[in-house]
Amino acid sequence: MINKHVISEKIKKAIIDANIKINPEVEEIIERYEGPFSDIIKENYRVSKEEKLPLCQDTGIVEFFVFIGHEVKLEEPIEETLNRAVGEVYSEYPFRYSIVTDPLFERINTGTNTPAIVHIFQVKGKSLEIRFLVKGGGSENLTVLRMMTPTSDVEKVKEFVVEHIKEHGAKACPPLHVGIGIGGTADKALLLSKLALTKSFEERNKDPKYAELEKELEEELNFLGIGFQGLGKGITVYSVHIEHFPTHIATLPVAVSVDCYLCRRGKVTFED
Amino acid sequence: MRIEDLKAGQEIRYSGKLIVMRDQAQRRLKEIVDRGEEPPVDLRGQIVFYAGPAKTPSGKPVGAIGPTTSARMDDYLEMLFKLGAIATIGKGKRSKKAIEACKKWKRVYFVTPSGTAAALSKRVKKSRVLAFEDLGPEAIYEIEVEDFPLIVAIDSNGNTIFKE
Repeated sequence: MINKHVISEKIKKAIIDANIKINPEVEEIIERYEGPFSDIIKENYRVSKEEKLPLCQDTGIVEFFVFIGHEVKLEEPIEETLNRAVGEVYSEYPFRYSIVTDPLFERINTGTNTPAIVHIFQVKGKSLEIRFLVKGGGSENLTVLRMMTPTSDVEKVKEFVVEHIKEHGAKACPPLHVGIGIGGTADKALLLSKLALTKSFEERNKDPKYAELEKELEEELNFLGIGFQGLGKGITVYSVHIEHFPTHIATLPVAVSVDCYLCRRGKVTFED
Repeated sequence: MRIEDLKAGQEIRYSGKLIVMRDQAQRRLKEIVDRGEEPPVDLRGQIVFYAGPAKTPSGKPVGAIGPTTSARMDDYLEMLFKLGAIATIGKGKRSKKAIEACKKWKRVYFVTPSGTAAALSKRVKKSRVLAFEDLGPEAIYEIEVEDFPLIVAIDSNGNTIFKE
């Protein structure tokens, strides 16, 4: 049995770190950037760390991806542990409560930044892995799904992704991390695109054809010249990750998700 | 400096007052204006900053604060100009409609660095809620800033720094 307090403490620390400390992969790239606002971008993560202030005022909706071994036993549903952890972190720290109760009618703030979004996947074994994204609204609004015709080729898929980022990329705080889900059903493709965002920049798809496509898209998207803050200097994307899955003969779902330049994410693991 | 003299791409540092408001506050403001009632804030001569701050830590004038996506609020831009606002501050590219509104009303749109809310909060000296307190981070605030970094993204002639 994995103790709920052990899970909670580790998750809380990871969420605090993701909001306050710059992602080391991101820092390395930002340090080399010398375009407009570079002084403030660099000053920001020094101030946030020293003063325990969030890197961005939009401290996001927390989205969890839970991989739970089939032999793992928990004290309570994992969703309860995770929501409690989020509620505690966002109350204890000067973060923003960004979640409203009802999406359409009464958009009243829940005052806890919960509920979080929790996706659960059961896997083999005795370990529990929890990945998460601290997802800002600006980048989330760029999410898009297209049900392409099943005979569409690689070029058509690339065109869709490039056109989308060209039109909207400047709104989501570039450089962006681009996650692409191809295949499955509509909802599966969206989920895959989000999972792709939990990867580190250097990882590549294990299938060489998809790995090649990731690299080609990265090059084409950087050729757009959107740049840091959309101001034309520096790279446009850090990395492109694709996750794929078998699909129906009549479908080719393609989903695109992006993460903003801060790429606030984390991963914690436990053994039962 | 006159608003009409600013050119797209120009970098400035601004010190003075800003009116902070975003999506829901503007929606409510529009409902009030449409009913022919008096708006709860006077926007004449003011600069509107599209933002919703994080919680204020004790002893600080304001919490982490930074721009949100301006394009979401393009439909409310003309209303702000009609109410007398002279400029807006946010992040990202805006629609053709917003560019046209800036040109027609001789107003400008600035960008300020996004995702740098800890650093920007150091440039805010004072903050107070002006209206719609129940909206929490989406309330209307008045803040006083010092050396706030801005780039003119759309100038009063409709020139823009963003690629078409």
